Amino acid sequence: MRSLTEEETRTLFTKLASYTGRSLNSLITPAEDGSQSVFRLQGSRVYYVNKDIANLSVSFPRDQLLSMGTLIGKYTKTGKFRINLTALDLLAQNARYKVWIKANGVMPLLYGGSVLKAHVARFSEDCPENAGVVILDSNDVPLGFGVTARSSAQIAKLDPTSIAVHRQADAGEYLREEDTLFTT
Amino acid sequence: MAPNVGGAKGGAKGAAKGGKSTNLSSASRVSKSAKKDGPKRPPPKEQKTKPRTANENLKKKKKRVYTEKELDLPELNQITPVGVIKPKGKKKGKTFVDDAEGMMTILAMVNAEKEGQIESKMMKARQLEEIREAKKAEAEARMKERKNKFDDVKDSIRQKKKGKGGDKAAEPTSIKDSISKPGRSKKKTVAFA
Repeated sequence: MRSLTEEETRTLFTKLASYTGRSLNSLITPAEDGSQSVFRLQGSRVYYVNKDIANLSVSFPRDQLLSMGTLIGKYTKTGKFRINLTALDLLAQNARYKVWIKANGVMPLLYGGSVLKAHVARFSEDCPENAGVVILDSNDVPLGFGVTARSSAQIAKLDPTSIAVHRQADAGEYLREEDTLFTT
Repeated sequence: MAPNVGGAKGGAKGAAKGGKSTNLSSASRVSKSAKKDGPKRPPPKEQKTKPRTANENLKKKKKRVYTEKELDLPELNQITPVGVIKPKGKKKGKTFVDDAEGMMTILAMVNAEKEGQIESKMMKARQLEEIREAKKAEAEARMKERKNKFDDVKDSIRQKKKGKGGDKAAEPTSIKDSISKPGRSKKKTVAFA
């Protein structure tokens, strides 16, 4: 488990910044009680861990350490960063754009479907095309995240069956991908 | 056949000259060496030259390797790709970003870049939207104009009809009414039994 290099940090932040706004700063800055969380790399996977725990983790052999903290995602072999469902909590707290869906859209989303225009209850204003959004249900519970298919102005004019948000991860993966979600 | 013949001849000659040994020519050689009192030498060894394909000959001798600088070649106008030349005296390996300040600077850069992108996207979307609105308005205006024109033409035709025979137009209707009412009897009817 090691800290990230400059290049890795840049790729990670670029990915996170497509979902979050300026509040991403709060991830790095120490909390009021003095505790600080850091990003750590284990294999190709990136974890967001409390710094004290990260320092303690040094005492474990690298090949025996499975997981710690929150799994954010992993680096692909081409050097890109793939964000994981487990990062949803972090993203939802700092999301730039949000989509609230109606009750009739929750199940299709949790089974891996996209968000249709008919499912959209509310949409963040001034949202451009192909921007990362966090999908929430009507009770503000984050269900997943995705990428907008159209800008928010255009979505209003779409017909009900057309796709509004392309799904990237949803909470249903905890069941569907149970076996592979945390494998390295 | 031939060697046999020769052999027999030689044997006869030797016997005639020496008179000592009646045997083979080799015996005569031994007697010669015994006569000489020169220094003793080891028996001469046959010198074999090794073929060119032998392992030892195949190995190249170590040649002096000249560096490019020593050769004093004229320098070419080359492009040195980025990353090929590594700065001297720099430490090997990764440089980690572990301090909050470094992270902050990277984050600020990334954020600024992202916001610029989003801003430009929004600007573009807005412009496109404006253009779309303008086109829509234009199309609507054109449709309205066309409709107005059509209505005008309709009105003008109606007025023409009215103008041609204002009385006539009224008359036929009255005639029709007058005809139609009694005309009921004229209507063809089919009755079965």
